This record gives sequence, structure tokens and C-alpha cells, in this order.
Amino acid sequence: MLRIEHLFKEFAAVGNAKVAAVQDVSLNVPEGKLLTLLGPSGCGKTTTLRCIAGLERPDQGRIEIGGRTMFDAAHGVFVPPAERGIGMVFQSYAIWPHMSVFENVAFPLRVSRTRRFNSSEIVAKVKRALETVRLGGYENRRATQLSGGQQQRLALARGLVGEPRLLLLDEPLSNLDAKLREQMRFELKHLQTTLGLTAVYVTHDQSEALALSDEIAVFNQGRIVQLGSPLDIYRHPNSEFVADFVGSTNFLRGSVRATAPIGAVGQVETAQGTFACTFAAALAEGAKTVVSIRPEDIGIAADGEGVRGTITAKVFLGEVIDYLVSLSGQEVRVRHRARREYDHAVGATVMLTLPSDKALAMVDEKSA
Amino acid sequence: MAVADTVEHRPELLSRLAALLRPWPLLLIACTVAAAWLVFVPVAALFYTAFTEDTPFGPGAFTLANFVRAYVDNHILRLLWNSVVFALGTGVVTFLLGGIVAWVVERTDAPGRGMFHTLALLSFALPGLLTTMAWMLILSPNIGWVNTELKNLFGFTQAPFNIYTMTGMIWALSSHYFPLAYLLMGPAFRVLDIRMEEAAVISGARTWQVATRVTLPLLRPAILSTMLLLFVRGLESFEVPRLIGMPARINVFTTEIQSATHEVPPHLGVAASLGMTLLVICVVGVYLYRRATANAEAFATVTGKGYAPTPQRLGAWRWPVSILTMLMFIVTLGLPLFTLAWQSLFRNATPPSLSVLGNMTVDAYRYVLGYPVFLNAVKNSVFLGAMAATFVIAITFIMAWLAQRTMKRYGWVLDSLTFMPIAVPSVIMGASVLFAYLVLPIPVYNTIWILLIAYVTMYLPYGMRFTSGGIVQIHRELEEVAEVSGASSPQIFGRVLLPLLAPVLLAGWLYVFVLAVRELSASIFLAGPGTHVLGTISLTMWEEGGSYGAVCAMGIVQIVPLVFIVIIMRRLEERVSARR
Repeated sequence: MLRIEHLFKEFAAVGNAKVAAVQDVSLNVPEGKLLTLLGPSGCGKTTTLRCIAGLERPDQGRIEIGGRTMFDAAHGVFVPPAERGIGMVFQSYAIWPHMSVFENVAFPLRVSRTRRFNSSEIVAKVKRALETVRLGGYENRRATQLSGGQQQRLALARGLVGEPRLLLLDEPLSNLDAKLREQMRFELKHLQTTLGLTAVYVTHDQSEALALSDEIAVFNQGRIVQLGSPLDIYRHPNSEFVADFVGSTNFLRGSVRATAPIGAVGQVETAQGTFACTFAAALAEGAKTVVSIRPEDIGIAADGEGVRGTITAKVFLGEVIDYLVSLSGQEVRVRHRARREYDHAVGATVMLTLPSDKALAMVDEKSA
Repeated sequence: MAVADTVEHRPELLSRLAALLRPWPLLLIACTVAAAWLVFVPVAALFYTAFTEDTPFGPGAFTLANFVRAYVDNHILRLLWNSVVFALGTGVVTFLLGGIVAWVVERTDAPGRGMFHTLALLSFALPGLLTTMAWMLILSPNIGWVNTELKNLFGFTQAPFNIYTMTGMIWALSSHYFPLAYLLMGPAFRVLDIRMEEAAVISGARTWQVATRVTLPLLRPAILSTMLLLFVRGLESFEVPRLIGMPARINVFTTEIQSATHEVPPHLGVAASLGMTLLVICVVGVYLYRRATANAEAFATVTGKGYAPTPQRLGAWRWPVSILTMLMFIVTLGLPLFTLAWQSLFRNATPPSLSVLGNMTVDAYRYVLGYPVFLNAVKNSVFLGAMAATFVIAITFIMAWLAQRTMKRYGWVLDSLTFMPIAVPSVIMGASVLFAYLVLPIPVYNTIWILLIAYVTMYLPYGMRFTSGGIVQIHRELEEVAEVSGASSPQIFGRVLLPLLAPVLLAGWLYVFVLAVRELSASIFLAGPGTHVLGTISLTMWEEGGSYGAVCAMGIVQIVPLVFIVIIMRRLEERVSARR
């Protein structure tokens, strides 16, 4: 449905310097799927989205939507945004304050280039779009009278009313408060699957990305550093950056004692002990490495096998408890199901176990 | 029962009285009384003078004769027509020029945007009297050098331009006023979220559809309010009608009001009734302006956290747009400045050419800088400017702080009191202050203090805009944290508020100073033999002999320090915006 090949985009910075905003990005979104572009601010995700929309003109590469070439640097093709047949939801919603709710949604139909809609068609389509986002009955309100969450849904209705081939969403939930954001997350996912929408979603919120996406492209400094399903990205991050950015994790630094091919188990020596780890990168014997292990993957027990540590702090979070455990000078976060029988006190000595399939050895980006 | 009641109520009454005697309410009352005196006394004097007989001993019995006489003798319809055409014409031309600059500076990536902003500020700071004189030296049919050059070049028998027409007047004022339109439209362009337009583009709208259905409707409140304010400013303007309109016999309200008071014997009643008529029109205009700006705020929408205005990329058009804008400044600002500078080096009207370079002389400067009347006017203007700026900023600072922090419930009283003078044209302010202190037993008539009273009143609204805007920017918690840390009120004031506000206060001070130093239209009513100011002395020199060279040299001597002040203001502006 959406194909991007080797996209490049530079911006002029202060003076004569150029900033590479997007570097060699290639993507493929199948019909009916939602792809998330995830990354910290300034990583190039929004620029990529705006290139897809046609609001930015890339320097190099090719963009194809629904089999039609929208941009091709090599052949000088550039289809203006108005003719790309896309819907878009902006972070600021960009609701027109001088129009009613109805007129905001009707706008794409009124200016449509593909066909002329008569007024009864417009009324019917707008009504359906508004009902889809649960704003039925709000037609005659002024757009500025709506709450933040309602404006967000209005923006969505406007994006959907023209039945676009592709829906682009630029951080649509980031201006909502936490509770509303979680609720809208479910609604968006539900809408996207029931309507069978193909969508590209930009966010810096990893939990949003994990919840919504069929596939996630993690961006860093203008490049895609990992592309995969949410589970894949979370379970098998391929770099320190991804492991750190998606979810929370512990890092233990050390060097490779016994190397292994990618995906196999080798040995890593750290100040906290020697561990059997799954290798997420090709690493030579003796090379610097960092072991990533998620807090919920570490086993914690009062005695038995493992590495000895002391609990320095403990936070009760409801269904789980987070412990901060000191392991020979390094603090490690351990998350454990909150059950009375496993409760450990601050100051207690505990034994930690790191399962070899969950401890991932990767390139040490910080020391390199 | 009744006894018990009074016993219970007495402490409450006492505590209420005691509450009134605390410093903040006292200060509030003092400020309100002072502002009310400044604002209402002149207006009352204007009413009084308009509705009473003119006698050699002051106002007499009640009469409507002044209005009859004013409307009949001055051909009120003709006057209205001229004033409205002039104000509308300037409004439109000013809006177009200023709107283009605002668009270039705020919405594009054309090079030189910072410089255009500075040039606009500079153009705004120049005394209108001087730019008007310059345009007469450029476009007068007899002495205008551009006309002379064009006649020589193309063999015209008649001068192609004539400044002594309505068009000439509109041009002379617009070239000087368009920075005002720029300053008013700039923020509107700045806050217009470009995503609004992008959303329309994505929806499939063509460029003209985006412009007519999204951009223009969104800008409409700003356009409307800017046009209204420009119209009112056009009605109020004095310098251009005085210098160009009077010889051309194109009379407007402001010049007629001044003529009536300067006739022998003066027709103060006639002047007052014309003034009241103009005041009513201006008050309506300003009222509509306020409503339009209130609507503009209702248009404010949610803007995203990551919202940053993206300029329109002009691509190949970057330089052409920049060069055209520069050209506009060269014509509207460069040409008058050059003319003044050139002419200041020659005694008689001399068109610029290489052949006369040898005749250049600095005699005019020597004369002006040794001319005691001029030097006295410089002294008066600088003194008045500094005093007016200090008073205005001090008063409005206290008022803004009271209105926003301690006495919020009564804040609107101070706000509206200080805003009122904006509706009073400075010609009317000058005349009204004159009427007031001719009658009141306060001996300020013919002294420098009467000028100071008028200046402070006129500039209260501007001072309030700076101080109030500055205090809004400072989060209340910054003061509260100082209070919690144990600071006393004076300490909070001196160590937190003042340092944070210093750039804004200084910018406001300079702004009022510039306005006061270039003042003419109110001063012309109030300046006496020993209290001439720069504006009145320049006008006198222009009209009552004095060589062109001397008048222009006088202008250049005023402009040079103004350039430095504008540069300082620009620096302050950058410092304030950098902190946000």
C-alpha cells in the first residue's frame, strides 16, 4: 500500500550547515496495517511523515501510495499533497476555529478534486464520520467549544471523511491528559482495525507504539535502527538505543568471554559476575559489550542460586513491586508480581537470576 | 437584641476601615484618582468649552452656537468627506504595505527579515513632521527634486507628481505609518498555525481555496482591527494635513481645530465643538477596534506542545521577495532620509547631483547648533521626554501590578482608565488640556508642566501595554517562591520583579521617550514662547523662513539619536524574546 525507498531529506541549518533529517529510510506498509514511526524528538520521524504527505519535498528516494508513484527524485515526479488521497491528523489538531464542527468535517468533500458531492451526500458522509468518532449530534457546535479530546476526534473525523487510502497521524494523542490518552488509544486501534485503515502513526511514546502498531520502525538520528512487530522490538531489541528507548531495562557493562553467533548463547564477564547471554550482535572475543535485561525478567528470591545483592529501595505500584537492588556497586531494577509471600524488605539480602534467553549482549554504544 | 447586633457589627466595621488603610488599597485609590484626574479633566473641559459662549474672560453661558458655527463655517460635510477619504486612503495603502512586510518577516524565509524589522521600527520612530517635509522636498511641483529630475530626463513640461493633492497626502502619511500596520499584523501572522493551512492542503484544497477559506477567515479579526486602528490614526494625524493639506486647501478636522484656536481672537468654542465631533467618531472607532480584538482572542485554539511556526519556503523567490521589500524601504525610508541629509548640506533647495558637490557646506549645522531657540527646544524636549517616560512607566507599573496581583477585583477600573486616552486624538488632547488649565486655578498655563500633563495622559495606554504585558509574562509563582523564602514585599519588588522586568520597562521608557520627543500635534496648543519643543520649533522654522538647509539640518540632528535609541530597543526586544 505504502512503499518508501531510500528516502533522504536535508534541512538548511544555521549558517550554511545542512542537517540530515532523514537518511536512507525504506519502508513498506501492507493494506490495512498500522505502522508506527517511533523515536525521540528530532529523530526524523515527523519529517518522514510529512514527506509521505507531500508537505516536504525529499531530496532523494521514491514514495508510492496504492501503486501510484507520488514522489520519485530520479524521474522528477512530485504529486502535490492535495492529490495524494490521504487523510492526516495533526498534533495540534489544526481544527479551523472559524468553522462549525460540521463545516470542518465537510471541508475535504467540498474541495474534493476527484468528484463533486451534492449537499445530501455531504450531510450523510459528515454524519457518518462524526458518528464513527462518537461526535454525532455535535454538528452545529463551534469547533472552539469542543474539549481537547473532542477536538482530537473531530480532527480524526475530518481525516476519515474523504475515505483516504492512507491515514497519517502525527502524535495525535500527545496533547491529551494521561487517562484520555489511554482511552483514545483503544478507540483508535478499534477504528483502524474495523475500518481496515492503512495508517502511519508518529509518536515518541513507546507504550503508545507498542499498544497500537502492527509494526514499529524505531528511528534514531534520521535512520531506522530497528523494524519489527511490537513484541519483537520489545523482546529482541538489536541495540542499546532500542532497548533503552522502548520499555525500561538494566544495563550491565563488561566484555565478551566466549562469543556466539547472533541469537545463540555465549558468556559475558561483568563486574557483577559472568553471565550466559543471548547475543543480539556479532561481537568478538574480548570486545566491550553491554548486557540488557528487563526488570521483569530478573528472578528474585531470598536464597538459592544466583548473584547476591542487597535491596536498597522498594516502590509499591499496585500489581507489581519495583525493587532497587545493589549488585557490587551497581543498582539494578527488578520488577516482581506483588504477592505477600515473596515480599522482601529494604536492606534484605536477595539472590538474583538472569535467564540466558532474556539477557541480551549487544554493542556497547556508550563506551564506543 | 439590637444592642447585641451593634456590638457584633462594630469590630467588623472597624476592621473594614482598617483594611482600607492598608498600603495596597491606599495606593490603588491614589492611582485611580490620579488617572481619573488626568483622563477626565481634559474631556470635561472640552465638553464645557464646546457648550458655553466664548468670551474674552473665559467660558460664558450655555449655548449651542459653537456647534452651529463650527458646522456651517467649516462646511462640516466637506470636512468629514476629506477626513474620511484621507483616513481610509491611508488605512488601505498602509495596510497593504505593512501587511506585505509582516508576511515577509513572519511567514517566509526571505533573507534580511531581522533588518526589515529594525527598519520598520526606525521608520516608525521618525518624527512625522520631518518625513512630511522630506516628501515636500521630493515631490513638490516647484522644488521637489524628483520632479525636477524627471522633467529634465523626459522633457516633461509639467511636474509629474504633485504632493499638494489628496493622493500626495495619503502617500506622505502611508510611507510613514505602514510600520504600524506591520507591527499590528505581525503577531497575527506569527500565531497563525501553519498546520491550519496544511490541513486544508491535505484535504485537497487548491491554493486559492486555502487562502479564501482558511487563511483569510482566520486573519479576518486581525485585519479588521488593524484597519480600524489605522483609520482612527488617519483621522487623528496632524503633521501631513498641517504641512501639505493647508496650502492645498484640503482641510480635515485636526487642522481646523488648530486653526480655530490660533485665530485672533481664538474661537475656542468652535474648536471644542469640532473636537467633540472628531472625538465621538474616534471613540466609536476604538470601541469597534476593542470588539474586533476581543473576537480575535475567541479564535485562539489549542496549539500543540511541539508547535513551532514553520516559515513558507520561497525557494527561487527568496531573493526577489527580499529585494522588493528592501526596495520598498529604500523608497519609503531611504528617500526621505537621503533628501533631508542632502538638503541639510545646501542653503537653498538643491536637487542631488554630482556637479554641486563642491557647493556643499556645513553652515546649516553650524547655524542650528548655535541657535539658542533651537537649543532651548532640544533641552525642553529631552527633559519632557525623560519626565513623561519616567512618570508613565512608574505609574503604569504600579497600576499593572495592583491590577494583576493584589487588587484583582478592581483591576479593570485601572485598565480601562489608562486605556481611554487612546481614543483621544492628540490634537484634541492638546486643545482640551489647554481649555482645562485656562479655567482651573492651577498655574501651569504657559509653563513646561502643562506639556508634561498632556504627554503623561496621552502615553498612559502605551506605558500600560508594556508594563502590563511584562507582568503577565512573569509567573506569579516566581514572586511567591521569594515570599516563601522569607523576602519582604520591597525585597520581592527590588530583587525579583524589577530585575526580571528591567528590559521591558526600559523598552517602554524608550518608547514613550521617542513618542514624546517627536510630539507636535498636542504641543502646538500648549507650547509658549519659552517652552518650545522640537516639533513646534521645526514647524515654525519651516513656515517662517529659515533656509531649507537649516530646517533639514535640524531634522538630521534629531534623527541621529533616534537611530541609536531604535537600535537599543531592538536589543532589548531580543533579550526579552530570548528569555521566553
